[in-house]
Amino acid sequence: MNIAKNMLFKKEIIEPSDELVKETFWQDVFKSLRKDRMAMAGGTIIALFILVAIFAPYLAPYNPYEVSLDLQFQKPSMEYWLGTDMFGRDVLSRIIYGSRISLLIGIVPSLITMLIGIIFGIIAGYFGRKTDFIIMTVSDMVLSFPSLLLAMVVMYTLGASLLNIFIALSIVGWAGTARVVRAQTLSLKNKEFVESARAIGVKPSIIMIRHILPNCIPQLLVLFTLEIPGSILSEASLSFLGVGAQPPASSWGLMVSNGKEFLFNAPWVAISPGIAILVIVLAFNFLGDGLRDALDPYLKQ
Amino acid sequence: MNKNRKSIFSFVLIPIILATTVLSGCGNSASSDKMITTSEISDPGTTDVQKTTSEYTIPLNIYDRLVEAITVSPGKSELVPGLAESWEVSPDGLKYTFHIRKDVKFHNGEILKADDVLYTFDRMLDPATKALNTDFLDMIAGAKDRMDGKANSVSGIKVIDDNTIEITLAKAFAPFLANLATPAGSIYNRKATTEAGEQFGIDPQKTIGTGPFKMKSWALNDTVVLVSNPDYFQGAPKIDGVNIKIVPDAETNRIMFETGKLDIFNLSNSASQIPQFRDNEKWKNSIVSGPIVGLYYYALNEDIKPLDDVRIRKALQMSIDRQTLLDKLYYGEGQLVHGISPPGLLGYNPELPKIEYNPEKAKQLLTEAGYPNGFDMEIVQTTDSPNTLKINEAVQAMLQKVGVRVKITQIDESTYFATRQVGKLPSNQNEWSADYNDPDNFFYTFFSQKNSKVRSYNYNNLEVNAKLEKARTMVDQTERIKLYQEMEKTIAQEDAAWIPLFALNQLFVVQPRVKNFQVAWNGWSSMSYYGLEIVEAK
Amino acid sequence: MGHYIIRRLVISIPVTFGIALITFILLNVIPGDPVALMMKDHISADVVARVRAQMQLDDPAYIRFFRFIWNALHGDFGVSYKLNRSVSSLLMDAFPNTLILAISGALVSWIIGIPAGVLSAVKKRSFLDNSIMGFSLLGVSIPVFWAGLLFQYIFAFWLGILPVSGFDGPEYLIMPAIVLGWSSAGTISRLTRSSLLEVMRNDYIRTARAKGNLELKVVINHALKNAMLPVVTVMALQVAGLLSGAVITETVFGIPGIGRIAVNAIQNRDMPLLQGAVMFTTVLVILGNLVADVLYSLLDPRIKYD
Repeated sequence: MNIAKNMLFKKEIIEPSDELVKETFWQDVFKSLRKDRMAMAGGTIIALFILVAIFAPYLAPYNPYEVSLDLQFQKPSMEYWLGTDMFGRDVLSRIIYGSRISLLIGIVPSLITMLIGIIFGIIAGYFGRKTDFIIMTVSDMVLSFPSLLLAMVVMYTLGASLLNIFIALSIVGWAGTARVVRAQTLSLKNKEFVESARAIGVKPSIIMIRHILPNCIPQLLVLFTLEIPGSILSEASLSFLGVGAQPPASSWGLMVSNGKEFLFNAPWVAISPGIAILVIVLAFNFLGDGLRDALDPYLKQ
Repeated sequence: MNKNRKSIFSFVLIPIILATTVLSGCGNSASSDKMITTSEISDPGTTDVQKTTSEYTIPLNIYDRLVEAITVSPGKSELVPGLAESWEVSPDGLKYTFHIRKDVKFHNGEILKADDVLYTFDRMLDPATKALNTDFLDMIAGAKDRMDGKANSVSGIKVIDDNTIEITLAKAFAPFLANLATPAGSIYNRKATTEAGEQFGIDPQKTIGTGPFKMKSWALNDTVVLVSNPDYFQGAPKIDGVNIKIVPDAETNRIMFETGKLDIFNLSNSASQIPQFRDNEKWKNSIVSGPIVGLYYYALNEDIKPLDDVRIRKALQMSIDRQTLLDKLYYGEGQLVHGISPPGLLGYNPELPKIEYNPEKAKQLLTEAGYPNGFDMEIVQTTDSPNTLKINEAVQAMLQKVGVRVKITQIDESTYFATRQVGKLPSNQNEWSADYNDPDNFFYTFFSQKNSKVRSYNYNNLEVNAKLEKARTMVDQTERIKLYQEMEKTIAQEDAAWIPLFALNQLFVVQPRVKNFQVAWNGWSSMSYYGLEIVEAK
Repeated sequence: MGHYIIRRLVISIPVTFGIALITFILLNVIPGDPVALMMKDHISADVVARVRAQMQLDDPAYIRFFRFIWNALHGDFGVSYKLNRSVSSLLMDAFPNTLILAISGALVSWIIGIPAGVLSAVKKRSFLDNSIMGFSLLGVSIPVFWAGLLFQYIFAFWLGILPVSGFDGPEYLIMPAIVLGWSSAGTISRLTRSSLLEVMRNDYIRTARAKGNLELKVVINHALKNAMLPVVTVMALQVAGLLSGAVITETVFGIPGIGRIAVNAIQNRDMPLLQGAVMFTTVLVILGNLVADVLYSLLDPRIKYD
């Protein structure tokens, strides 16, 4: 996860101009995105899943948490479109409700990751010297710590719960973002428009927010889009290792790893959430790739 | 640049060539003729029974004990002479004299002597060993002093001559013989074990016993190979040896079995596969099952309100539909338990009144106790125990119906045991199976004053405590059993100190070529493979 | 160059030390107890107390930490609580298995990723591009354990052509390598694609095209050589990444490698073993990064490190 992130922007030498006018920027990006069928497909799917998550109570045919052992392992039928699991719970309803958890697991840690990464990255890049050395050494530690193991250790330490998954994935993820932002800041720091702002006595915090951050947005957008599927998959891995989301909240990752033992007798229990993960992760990947293509001129300008 | 490119190409090409040779060399090598292949979920780490309290498969095959518990029929056991050909017990139950067999050789060729027995037991109690299994021997006179470092030997163990050893207990302990028949009573060789030092139980060549198999090799997290011991005192095994594969994933295990890579498949790791094999024409006659002399239960922590109220505890007992749990989660493979002793255990009482499933009455009891709207209850379990989670989720739904709102908390295993040890662990589902066939192994383990705290029951019935201590030392077996049955009624039903669930069956699926496979008397998956035979159908 | 390498190595010392410290703190803030864990249900307070004392577990945390560091500096990583063996020998035994798995996984990812990247760059936004990128991204999008399980069902159970689990010969490597490699093929193909697209914008490619050379030929003869530059450097990173990323693959396919050791160590609160495993993989990742940087500067004369 981290390595992929580092590689994405490994050799960019960025020279942005302050004429980067917002409207044309977004228009350009959108125009270019529209031509990319895969990215559009990805975007549409994501939008659909978000709608499903929001309207879950209206869409789900059954209560996803209602246990009735008598209805154990019903085959997919008109009544239960995707069958029922070992507790007689409707798989479709669980997937619909699970979309809430899984999207949260994708989005929340990615947001936190972005936030921490931006703060540390800009500070390290802008102030340099000791501050930079300390922040980068810590981020080196995180990056060289095998990410799944680190997340697992954190989960074991804090205990398995949804909140702790957010924490674990954020701890694992921020360092990569920090690196990207720092590199960007370094290249911007000595640009004319930053230097002139500094010369007229603008506070560092304002410079960072007004002048540097906006120029990082293209990368951050791509990073964010690609971070989300990474988080969803990491949670699935953690579920497999027994420290994922916990019932009654049920993520798709947990449904797959719980359902895998029924692959012979009730394959529907594990296959449909597996497909849900696959589809959403692919969608985010396509969108992220499309975004990167679309933002390419801005990334490389 | 050029040079670099070359090295890159060789870096890419050589492995491709390698890969193709690999593919062409691929074939199904049938497992060798007379070897049995079994699997375990995790690597045992050591085969020194003094340093483990659970990894007994290999020890049961490479060591012997003075007395052995053999399986007479499923769920029935008998104590028979092992390395001791006979023994006498003094009338007060304090002094045991064992007569050691003269014809037993260790794997290194040494002849078994009484001194080896003395050495083994002393090693367990020697603090330098850092043994974990001392509970099985700490009733011997002088054991405490030895463990505390106050003595250099155990006063209660005396070698009379090469073939006679005398063990004196501090207090009479009725299940002592049964106790010695557990894996923890395995006998080592003084010379080999001393020489091996820390490598004993780890280095296959240095791990010496008298058992029917010898350790040959050990690739950690991969395979342990045992080979037959041709000089075994009861005759060489009929198989050449046992490969024990370490296969962590239950589904992987199943595929390995179905593709013939495993001879024995333990279904207890994946109960969900029971119907698949039971209903399968190919395998249904290959299932070997036997009752586990043990039970699943809920421990209730009486220090946590409102569990201190017996009406609440009784209400909980009545709110759980145990038959449905057994049928739906374990496919009916077992039977309900209403007290403490599971079927098969010495002193099991089939006449014990049943605990009924009656949510109406439960609600009534809750109302009487002042909780007409139920209460919040925490059930704790260790992370990464999917099977426990299943029961907890089902029970959560059942208790919901009487208004008890259960929160399932998952904590890491080491925190779990550390919290439990100080008596602070909330209610939890757990299971226990017999180490030795005696009610003491259940009653005392859970409800003695000391253990009731260590296991977070905090059940304090002084009368029961006194009876438990007394029952341990009673010599008259009939009286003793009667006392246990009386206590069972008090603890499990009148005081409702825990919620017994059920005793399960242990199921294995066994390849048709393996003959004489029998589930161990206590239903453990750790067992001796000595009696197995291989008959190739041709 | 030599100066640069030395500086990087020096920086890696506090990083490794810090990682040891983080691991230690994380595993010490909770009231867990490795001895209680070893005894599990047969727990007895007296025995726990006695064995803890013998294992020096009752010493204050900082003393235990510095004892660990002191011994580690002398090459002694201690003895695993659960496996009773020296940590260094456990890691050295497991390392080759993980290394073989990581390298073959990386190979698979190149075999899938590089051609996929090339084709999709040449046919940008065509149906071919989409389906090829789709295929290589599919590997990234499936939970690894799920892919592993499906592979086992298909190739070991239904078709019966490959062994399910274990590490007894080269044929045991095929499925895990494919699962592991496929999961990182997407990264390689993305990188190949984007760096190829960039190179193809250059004048000399346009010239070659203008001469009427076939597209694929142009790519292979002119563009690929330059475009592979970032890809090659990433390979070193990737091998290091796979070394630590093989945890799940090792568990599903029963491969006795470092990842499984580390997972078991976490589960058993096996402090010395986890410390050792984490520090070991950390050093590997740091070395991998260094190799990547050095490779990069060797291959691209424009980049100079001081």
